[in-house]
Amino acid sequence: MGIKQLAQVIKDHAPDAIKVGEIKNHFGRKVAIDASMSIYSFLVAVRGNDGQQLMNEEGETTSHLMGMFYRTLRIVDNGIKPLYVFDGAPPKLKSGELAKRFARKAEATEAAEEAKETGTAEEVEKFSRRTVRVTREHNDECKRLLTLMGVPFIVAPTEAEAQCAVLARAGKVYAAASEDMDTLCFDSPILLRHLTFSEQKKEPIQEFFLDRVLAGLAMDRHQFVDLCILLGCDYVDPIPKIGPSTAVNLIREHGSLEKVVEFIQNDPKHRYTLPDDWPYKDARELFFDPEVRPADHPECDFKWNAPDVEGLVKFLVTEKGFSEDRVRNAAQRLNKNLKTAQQARLEGFFKPVQKTDDEVASLKRKNEEKRAESKKKQRVEAKAKKDAKAKPRGTA
Amino acid sequence: MDNSHVALVSMMLKAESFSPFRCDRNIALGINLTSLMKVLRCAQNEDILTLKAQDAPDVVNLVFESSESDRISEYDIKLMDIDQEHLGIPETEYAATITMPSAEFQRICRDLMALSESVAIEATKDGVKFSCSGDIGNGAVTLRSHQNVDKPELNVDIALSEPVALTFSLKYLVNFCKASGLSSTVKLCLSNEVPLLVEYTLASNSYLRFYLAPKIGDEE
Repeated sequence: MGIKQLAQVIKDHAPDAIKVGEIKNHFGRKVAIDASMSIYSFLVAVRGNDGQQLMNEEGETTSHLMGMFYRTLRIVDNGIKPLYVFDGAPPKLKSGELAKRFARKAEATEAAEEAKETGTAEEVEKFSRRTVRVTREHNDECKRLLTLMGVPFIVAPTEAEAQCAVLARAGKVYAAASEDMDTLCFDSPILLRHLTFSEQKKEPIQEFFLDRVLAGLAMDRHQFVDLCILLGCDYVDPIPKIGPSTAVNLIREHGSLEKVVEFIQNDPKHRYTLPDDWPYKDARELFFDPEVRPADHPECDFKWNAPDVEGLVKFLVTEKGFSEDRVRNAAQRLNKNLKTAQQARLEGFFKPVQKTDDEVASLKRKNEEKRAESKKKQRVEAKAKKDAKAKPRGTA
Repeated sequence: MDNSHVALVSMMLKAESFSPFRCDRNIALGINLTSLMKVLRCAQNEDILTLKAQDAPDVVNLVFESSESDRISEYDIKLMDIDQEHLGIPETEYAATITMPSAEFQRICRDLMALSESVAIEATKDGVKFSCSGDIGNGAVTLRSHQNVDKPELNVDIALSEPVALTFSLKYLVNFCKASGLSSTVKLCLSNEVPLLVEYTLASNSYLRFYLAPKIGDEE
């Protein structure tokens, strides 16, 4: 999923591009959420005490509805207006990745069966989590739930992240929320991570700013996307032996993937080998020109409505066995948050002052100092570890 | 600015407020407020305070000299980088400017806070009305222009170019009111669709200003 190690690369090279904060700092903002990814994570993470997915009396899974309902409620409670984007058909290039995922699932299913017979409870749980698949029914039920809650959603033509990014770029929403780092490759100015996490996890919300990422890496968007492809994205296989630091260095040195490929092919030392089928140009095309609804499309006109309380009770309580009190209580909160006057933010009135060149320069210097320091620390730690390892042998 | 970017505070202490005052070139010092509070608590009421910072400083130096005894205490506070973005505040001609005793404003905010989270401030040519409604009921306080010849600090003065009606969070206003001890009067400046300015005037042209973004009804 997403781009391998990108979060780490950004942390190393552009620490000021990541802001960590509480969920309530984002109140009053509209956010486009990658629904398919969220549903998947709910199915994996929302579990009962026995580690099994939550089910109603008929044995139908309700983990996704539980997650969708309560996590959306938490987002709304914090004054954020969520908008969900569902995946459409996957682009053709992704078929390789999907086939691999499918194979992994099949393997995990088999292993789960086996574990059930021979293994411990822990193993059973581990494998059953890996077999999770989001089905059409899951998606449809979530859409029905959202309609009843009065929360808008849209089905993207292909990738949900791409659609989120377009909406954020056009200013329809403040940010795209996804766990997937490739949302940045789709040119979303701001990416929020961990928004749909459980409150109990106490994970702070991470905010990534694309412009600061690019400034920190000293790359333009083309080079950034090339870097992401080199790091390994959903569309093409990664190149063996090229890790995060090599990838950054290669792009910095050669400027574009074309040049990097040329370099790899002509490298007298043959350090790296390209996979046989490596359609990086197509992958790049997908990042730059994904199939999405333009933001001015009528379908992208979103309205947040009052929840249909009776509809929610019928669906969640009668059909899915949720507690009636809790559902009614939640619906009341949805209603309240929708009705009360919304607190505005100062940014709506006062514009940020552009940083002067001096400030930008000093920020850059500070970032570099920080990086050098952390590297030094790492080295010292590594050395200490080595020494510690060497000692007992020496004394023995 | 607070974490959720709703309120902003700006305090100006003019050179006249200090004696002596020397500053060779503009310099910004990032100071952690909690740390500053800790150090300021070490001062006594009648102490003379001296603030010092070097060129390209790592610390700001505070010296407290007792006016009565020969006690001198000295503290350094480490400086910090403030990486928050800086908002520019445009000069605004406000539609309504209300001057009133700061204790009166504090009382209104505190009283209404008991009923509701937010207050609607309506300024018309007849006066200014602070109203709120909550679960237990509703309440309103209306003030009219009023001159008190003996005690001018009790004047209520309303200057209005057009009627204004805005809603604000009382939680923030009550916090602003904590500055009431610094000044006997407070100035509220309002325009529709613009943050409220609450200004406490301090001695020798200095001021403490709070800005608060309004609450707005849903645009859809």
